[in-house]
Amino acid sequence: MSDTLSYLLMAWLDPSLLGLTALGVLGGIYIGAIPGLSVTMAVSILISFTFSWDINNALALMVGIYVGGVYGGSRTAILLNIPGAPSAVTTAFDGYPLAQRGEAGKAIGLSTVMSVIGGIMGTVVLAGTAPYLSDLSLQFAPRDYFLIAVLGLLLVSSLSGKSLARGIFAVALGATIGLVGMDPVTAQPRLTLGSMELMGGISYVAVMIGLFGVAEALYQLHNLAKVPVKQNVDKIVPPLNMILKFLPLSMRASLIGVIVGALPGTGGDIASLFAYDHAKRSVKNPSRPFGEGAYEGLVAPETANNAAVGGAYVPMLTLGMPGDAVTAVIIGALVIHGLNPGPMLMIETPYIFWFTVGNLALANIFLLIFGLTGIKIFSKIVEVPKAILIPLIVVLCVVGAYSINSNMMDVYWMLGFGILGYWLKVFGFQMGPIILGVILGPMLDESYRQAMSSVGDQGGQFLLSLFTNPLSLILSSVTILVLLSNTPLKGWVLARFKRQ
Amino acid sequence: MSKHIERVQPGEKIFDWLLLLLSIGILFEAFRIDGGLKLNSAGSFPVGLGLVMLASSLAILFSHRYKRRAEHLHNAAEEFRAFIRDHFKPYIVVFSVAAILYLAAIVWFSFYLSTAVFLAAMFIFLRRGKIISSLVITALATGVIYALFTLVFRVYLP
Repeated sequence: MSDTLSYLLMAWLDPSLLGLTALGVLGGIYIGAIPGLSVTMAVSILISFTFSWDINNALALMVGIYVGGVYGGSRTAILLNIPGAPSAVTTAFDGYPLAQRGEAGKAIGLSTVMSVIGGIMGTVVLAGTAPYLSDLSLQFAPRDYFLIAVLGLLLVSSLSGKSLARGIFAVALGATIGLVGMDPVTAQPRLTLGSMELMGGISYVAVMIGLFGVAEALYQLHNLAKVPVKQNVDKIVPPLNMILKFLPLSMRASLIGVIVGALPGTGGDIASLFAYDHAKRSVKNPSRPFGEGAYEGLVAPETANNAAVGGAYVPMLTLGMPGDAVTAVIIGALVIHGLNPGPMLMIETPYIFWFTVGNLALANIFLLIFGLTGIKIFSKIVEVPKAILIPLIVVLCVVGAYSINSNMMDVYWMLGFGILGYWLKVFGFQMGPIILGVILGPMLDESYRQAMSSVGDQGGQFLLSLFTNPLSLILSSVTILVLLSNTPLKGWVLARFKRQ
Repeated sequence: MSKHIERVQPGEKIFDWLLLLLSIGILFEAFRIDGGLKLNSAGSFPVGLGLVMLASSLAILFSHRYKRRAEHLHNAAEEFRAFIRDHFKPYIVVFSVAAILYLAAIVWFSFYLSTAVFLAAMFIFLRRGKIISSLVITALATGVIYALFTLVFRVYLP
């Protein structure tokens, strides 16, 4: 117990960790707020600089940036109607009308407090459930991991992008990129086109920086001339009775955020969308009609997207599966530091888990402090013109990609994936599923082959095993349901039910 | 009753055909790993992924059957011109070429020299003049990059 407590408070008591968490939150708020700079981009670039650091320092900074960044996107959504991050898209629905009514300060204050409530709730759920889930996950057979990974990839492909087919293509493309190199079992070269350069595989940090950094920079070049409209913001601390009034809704939204965040592959953007939808359905008498400045429309998504941060850590720390694109990058950081994200993480390195929990709680405290102060400086910084921002992003991407292996080849890969990412983005593909595919692909391959070996390489036996064990049966059924719910068959089944 | 018609962006169909070609290429490469389809081998999963990519790219192409190009684009030539206009705006082309030259320059010259030249050139170009302030921002940015990455993060740079 005392060990747990000391791990939990590690970030609170160590001045350098405390400072890095604070710095991360502050940086995250600004990075998240600047349209074009995403948290995933920041963490992807950061991973290459911090791999020579102590793991605690690296994680403290990343957790801070993650928490601050998810929140930061809401500020520009409220002030400028430009969501700084996808998770803040729904915040703009009612946040911007509130700002137009001259209530920008109140809206920012309320979103800050609700984000902190959501963040704390997410952390509590993470601390309460992950150890049990981790124990449970030790009972999982390789086929169960295979099914969970398939389910995660299916969810992310169905919930993001223009169409299911595009989502599935993106995930499969990512998984294919993840498989390039030598087969870990037989050392056969796979998808290398006979090139020696590709035998070692493609650095996924270079892929991440390319897809999230360069692609985004190129994409943002299209809106170079877009000038944000300034807003006047004064008092932002919300009254206590207002917070208490929206507490029940924020609790429900937190729960939605944690659950959605914990589903492998989904993140704050989907959580906030679900929570907004829930608020619309459940609040009978909103303060104003939804979409016209309803506080409820601000409270629900803001609580949910920060609660999803804690939720996203659950599958990452228990199963080694990323909850969203940011945790996919953090998994990369853990692997670079020689750690093994998954069920054994809690047994082999329990301090990482409790340190993360304590760090998340601390980051939320800093979020409250920084969120309610420094608004004047904030409004100046988010107005940095894209003409300055975009060349700087490219330089940061180059530094990030080069510092992985001190090798220009990674920089060229990064540029290549940046250009590919740009075109994919233009034509409605999302980058998150590709990255999740890169991370989950090798995991899927490994669990599939283990599961096949366990049934003597018999395809029929393998399929049978997916339905003859209780846990596998549940996972297989959910996977099939998710798949069917995204096909025209869903409409056909519903129509038949209605007729009956 | 008017029917809602979905629109494709200029170049979208060609891009989706290219994805189909990519899927076929990957599938071909995946088949070469083991010289055929086996259920549990180094090539089995890549073949599976190739098939998934092939099926999804076909589904994407199939989804185009009800889609039309934008109303103001009447033929393929107009669509091509719109595609070039949208994605190859002069400043995007200049920026992209400058970025590639910058990457090449890092190998020939030093990182900091190339970075300073790239930043200064791009700031001046994208901000349409403003030479003095662009040079000041370049000096500041290069200084911050040096302090942050070389002194604080101790990143080795070429």
